[in-house]
Amino acid sequence: MITLAVMLIAGIVALMNSIPLSVTTIYSYSRYSLGVSPRGDQSQLDEIRQRLVAGTPAPIERIVVCRANTAMVDSIVGKWPFVVFGFEQPDMRYYVQKLGAELSQGRYPVEGEPEAVVSQPVATNLGLRVGDVLLGPDKPDSYSPKEVRVVGILDTHEWIMFMPIEYHRVNHYPPVDVLLVFAHNLPDQTRLDEWALAEFKGDRARLYAFTDLKEQTDLAFKTLYTILNVVVASLVVVLTVMMGMLMNIYQSQRTNEFGLLQALGYGKRTILSRVLAEILVVLAGSWLLGVIVAFALLMLVKTQLFDPRAYALDPTDPSTYLYSTPVPVMIFLVAALDFMVRLKRFDPVGVVERRLL
Amino acid sequence: MIELRGTSLVYSDHGRTVYACREVDLRVATGEFLGILGPSGSGKSSLLYLMCGLKVPTAGVVEYQGRALADMTESERDGLRLKEFGFVFQYPYLVGYLSAIENVLVAQPDPGLRDEARDLLERLDVADKAGRLPHELSGGERQRVCVARALLGGSHVIFADEPTANLDHTSGRHVMELMAEHRGGGALVVVTHDPAMLDKADRVVTIRDGTIQ
Repeated sequence: MITLAVMLIAGIVALMNSIPLSVTTIYSYSRYSLGVSPRGDQSQLDEIRQRLVAGTPAPIERIVVCRANTAMVDSIVGKWPFVVFGFEQPDMRYYVQKLGAELSQGRYPVEGEPEAVVSQPVATNLGLRVGDVLLGPDKPDSYSPKEVRVVGILDTHEWIMFMPIEYHRVNHYPPVDVLLVFAHNLPDQTRLDEWALAEFKGDRARLYAFTDLKEQTDLAFKTLYTILNVVVASLVVVLTVMMGMLMNIYQSQRTNEFGLLQALGYGKRTILSRVLAEILVVLAGSWLLGVIVAFALLMLVKTQLFDPRAYALDPTDPSTYLYSTPVPVMIFLVAALDFMVRLKRFDPVGVVERRLL
Repeated sequence: MIELRGTSLVYSDHGRTVYACREVDLRVATGEFLGILGPSGSGKSSLLYLMCGLKVPTAGVVEYQGRALADMTESERDGLRLKEFGFVFQYPYLVGYLSAIENVLVAQPDPGLRDEARDLLERLDVADKAGRLPHELSGGERQRVCVARALLGGSHVIFADEPTANLDHTSGRHVMELMAEHRGGGALVVVTHDPAMLDKADRVVTIRDGTIQ
């Protein structure tokens, strides 16, 4: 029962964790740059750029001007919008090099043409190959007036899609340029992001930073995790009561043995430590078995169901299993308390005289 | 070795005062085989429990080697029963998930005594059942395993409550002889209602209504 409880809780937690994990995995590309766009007034872009250059606490490696629209990707909770960048030719190569990626198939898009490059996770998620249509007039969720075909696939674990900015400017909304500001390395990028979020707070600039995304994700899922905690707590209570009753019956069946041992001279403390050790071994063994089976099942789910669609699931996340630790702990406490009370009132003579049988 | 002076054990049964033992004066000398004879309900078992410290007297004193059992802590009395006393209870209790030989070793949890345990089972004619679980043994076999448990490790005092109750006459006598032989420098106290089982006893006392006659 404990094994099943661990499997159940680990399964629920792993699936719950996979939602925010999907967010941070899919949008992980934003770790490499800070996105800044003016709010409604394109003419402010130069001023924003000047403030960034003048005030940054970390050296800026490059500022890329791009456009961004969205295409839909599949996730565990349905379709999610995902950015399709519009880059100039040198910036495409810079971005790819910044991600530490390279083209595994095909080529880069030609300037102004309806062509796109996608990374391997995106290709897996949408089932795309070189030559397939990424955006098109008959795709309401991933619209483009012309069919935008995949011409290259990037070998990287990051999710990324881009096409020529010239095509984007002519065919896509919104008509707003976005600045991607790159620091030299990730620690510098974090410093830059945090500074910019404070610097531009309340101004007519929209910022896209990974640290902000993470914070917002944590905040968004706070309620969901509160519900999860309530579900786990309820499960713990139900299981503890059930297991407590079962253990009570089991200990009652061993009254004869405990009475005999006490009559022979085993102290209450010795008997108690023996029984507690037994309970501990059973609970720890069941919990461990539950963790092993849950891990194996989650790995199976990951490889067979999630990976083929590039959904995020992390069976190695310790929190998946740590959530189930209150189950054995509570059962141990209840069982120990029950046995201590029983032992305190226990009369071995009652057993050897068969009065307690 | 063991001395009872004015020892009484009283309990209340639905408001009625019952004397399990009443002002018992009794002495068990070192090396002695004492038989306690009495009919059912006469207080034999209660007397045994008082002598071994399983029960604390409501009046009077029980001393072992000059020290009152009532003055000992519960832990000390436990230690005494485990290390110096051997028991054969009226009902042949064994731990259900342990084999016969493991049940013998329960009395003295010392792996070095395994050969002695096997030897005792041999002398009690149950060596071939050493690996069997209690539910695979007959009542008589279980009783003999209990006797082996009581004798293991050379207990200083052996207390036996109707040790031959589940045995035929021949086996009963054999068990009594073995216990008498094993008392060595200690003592053997046997409670029974069958005088025939006490013919090797050094002394036999009779108890009736909780009083030694």
